Amino acid sequence: MDIEEIQQRIKQAEKLHITEKSHNDEARLDMSGYAGVIEYYPEELVITVKAGTTIATIEHVLAQQGQALTFSVENSNAITIGCAYAVGSPELSDAVLGIKIIDGQGRLLRFGGQVMKNVAGYDVARLLVGSRGKLAVICEVSFKVLPLAYCQQQNREKILNTPNKSATVIKIEQGLKTIFDPKGVFI
Amino acid sequence: MLITQELSRVLPKKTVLVGDEMTRPFECDALSVYRQKPLAVVLPDTIAQIKQIIAICKKHNTPIVTRGAGTGLAGGALPLKNSVVLGLSKLTKVKSINPQERYAVVEPGVRNIVISEVADQYNLYYAPDPSSQIACTIGGNVAENSGGVHCLKYGLTVHNIIAIKMLTIDGEEVTLTRHDEGLGLLALMNGSEGLLGIITEVTVKLLPKPESARVILAAFDNVTDCANAITKIITAGIIPAGLEMMDKFAIEAAEDFAHAGYPKEAQALILCELDGDNTQLQQQLDTVLPLLANASTLRVSQSEQERLTFWKGRKSAFPAVGRLSPDYYCMDGTIPRRYLAEVLEKITALSQHYGLRVANVFHAGDGNLHPLILYDANKKGELEKTEKFGTEILKLCVDVGGSITGEHGVGIEKLDAMCHQFHPDELEILHQIKALFDPHNLLNPGKAVPTLHRCAELGAMHVHNGELPHPHLERF
Repeated sequence: MDIEEIQQRIKQAEKLHITEKSHNDEARLDMSGYAGVIEYYPEELVITVKAGTTIATIEHVLAQQGQALTFSVENSNAITIGCAYAVGSPELSDAVLGIKIIDGQGRLLRFGGQVMKNVAGYDVARLLVGSRGKLAVICEVSFKVLPLAYCQQQNREKILNTPNKSATVIKIEQGLKTIFDPKGVFI
Repeated sequence: MLITQELSRVLPKKTVLVGDEMTRPFECDALSVYRQKPLAVVLPDTIAQIKQIIAICKKHNTPIVTRGAGTGLAGGALPLKNSVVLGLSKLTKVKSINPQERYAVVEPGVRNIVISEVADQYNLYYAPDPSSQIACTIGGNVAENSGGVHCLKYGLTVHNIIAIKMLTIDGEEVTLTRHDEGLGLLALMNGSEGLLGIITEVTVKLLPKPESARVILAAFDNVTDCANAITKIITAGIIPAGLEMMDKFAIEAAEDFAHAGYPKEAQALILCELDGDNTQLQQQLDTVLPLLANASTLRVSQSEQERLTFWKGRKSAFPAVGRLSPDYYCMDGTIPRRYLAEVLEKITALSQHYGLRVANVFHAGDGNLHPLILYDANKKGELEKTEKFGTEILKLCVDVGGSITGEHGVGIEKLDAMCHQFHPDELEILHQIKALFDPHNLLNPGKAVPTLHRCAELGAMHVHNGELPHPHLERF
C-alpha cells in the first residue's frame, strides 16, 4: 500500500473507518500495512516512521543506538504508532515534531517537520494528537527521541482535574472536523 | 459613537490611550523597522475589562492586536492603522504557586523571569528562557511558543504550559489543559500569534533547580570540527542543558564587548552547559571532555562566576554585533544539524554576493540558527537588500528540511517565506482554522499566515509532483 492508493481510497469512499487491524474492506482502511522506519538520525534525536509501525519495532530500532521514545504505550507489541498518536497523551504530543497526513478530500499535507523548533504556522502536528482517526489519515510521524537514560528519568506527570468540555470547545472541535474532513468520510 | 469614544466612556480613564503622543510607544515591537500607530491602545486591569474591549471592538468591526511586552522580533504586535492595541502588561498577578505539584498560575502580563523569581523560594524555576526574559511576558511567550538556550533539554514553551484560559472573539472564556480528552487545542494556541484568541491566564510547569551546572568552552580552528563536536556529544548520549555555537565574527564581536575570555583567533566555538547533581555532572564531564580533545581551546568553568562570564559573551552577542553596525537584522531559521557546515558555507557565499556582513550565533543543540545581518537602514535600498538576503537564508533552511522560524514567529516579517515552506493546500487549512476561531478576521489580522494571493504573486508556489496546484487558475 502506498500514499497514492490511500488517497484514491479516500477520494472514492463515502465512509471510511481507519484501523490498524487487518480488515481491509470497503468500509475500513487498514493502516497496519503502511509500516516501517523512513528515516532515523540518532545524532539529531529524530525518527520518522510510517503510521502502521508497531511501537515495539520502533523501540527496537532506537534501542540499538541507546535511544528510546519519550512516551510509553501499554501493549507496545500490538499497538502501532498511528494508533498511539490517534489516542494521544501529553507526553506523546510533546515528542511530535511533524506529520504527513491525508485529509478527507484525499489531499496529502505536511505540518511540522524533523526539526526540534518550528513555529511557522499553527501547530497542526500536535493539534491532531488525539484525533482518533476522525479528521485525517495519519501517514507518517516524526518524533524527538532521547538517550535511554533521559527517558527513564522522566516522571509521569500529575494529571490535574480537567473541567468538562464547554459548549464552545465542542463547537471548535466540530469545526475542526469539518475543516479536515468536510464530507465526513472518516467515521 | 466612535470606537475611541466608546472605549473611553466604558473603561477607566487611564486605561485608554489615544492620540499620536500616547500611542507612539506602541507603534512597533522589537522589529522596529515597521511602525504604525493604532486608533487606540487599551491597557486593561481586569479580565472583565478585556471582555468589554472585545465586545466594543467586535461591534465596531475593529481589529484587535494583542500585545505583551512588545519584545517580539517578527512584527507580530505591530499595530494596524485601524486597530486597537490590547496591551496586557498590567495583568501581572501571580495568582498561586503549588510547590508540591510544581506549578504556578499567573496572569498573562507576568514577566517570564518573575515566575522563576517567585518560585525560587521553593527551589523551583520556570525553564524556557528566551533572551528577552527580563521583559517578555508569559502571555506573549505562549502566543509565540518562545524558546531559549535551554530548550534542548527542558523544552519549548508548549512543553512547559499545563493550562491556559483564553477569551474567544465572542468573549467566551475557554479553559484548555494538557490533559484534555480530544484534540490538542492547547498546543494549537501555543504559537498562534494572537490570531485565535486572547490568553487571560496561564498555568506553567515549575522544575526543580539543578544542583549545579558547569559550562565547557571549546573553540576550534574550523567550522566543520566544531559542528562535528556537537554531533559527537549528542551521539554519546548526553543532552546538555544548553549547547550554543558562535562563528568567528560573532566571537570577535562578543569578546570585544563582553570580555568573556573567548579566543578571538578561533573559527568557531561551542558553549556546552551540563547540569544535574554533582555525580551526574562529573559523569557527563568525563564523557564529554575526551570528545573535545581536538579543540584548540578547551576550558571548563571553575566557579559560578566563571560560568556566568562564559555565558555573558553569548548572551550579549546581539548588542555586541549592534555596536559594529548601525542596524542588524536577526534571522531565526532551523535546520537539521547535519547540514550545518553546508548552510554556513552558503550563508557566507550569500554574504559576499550581497556585500553584507553576517555574524552567526546558533542554538546548536536544536538546530536553530540566528544569523545577524549587518546593514545600515539609512543607506538607500539596504534594508530591502537585507530582507532579500534574509529570505534567501530562510529558503535555504527550508530546502534542507528545516523551518523559516524556530522561536521568533512569523508575524509580518516572514509572510513571504511562509509561501516557500507551505503548500497552498496547507495554507488553506491554516486560514480555515483562523476563520473557525475568528470568522470576522478581527484578531491580529494579516499576520502569521500569508494569503494564497500573496504567495501566487511571489511566484513561490510549490510545484507538487511536477504540477502546480489548481492548474486551471491563471497565474500572474
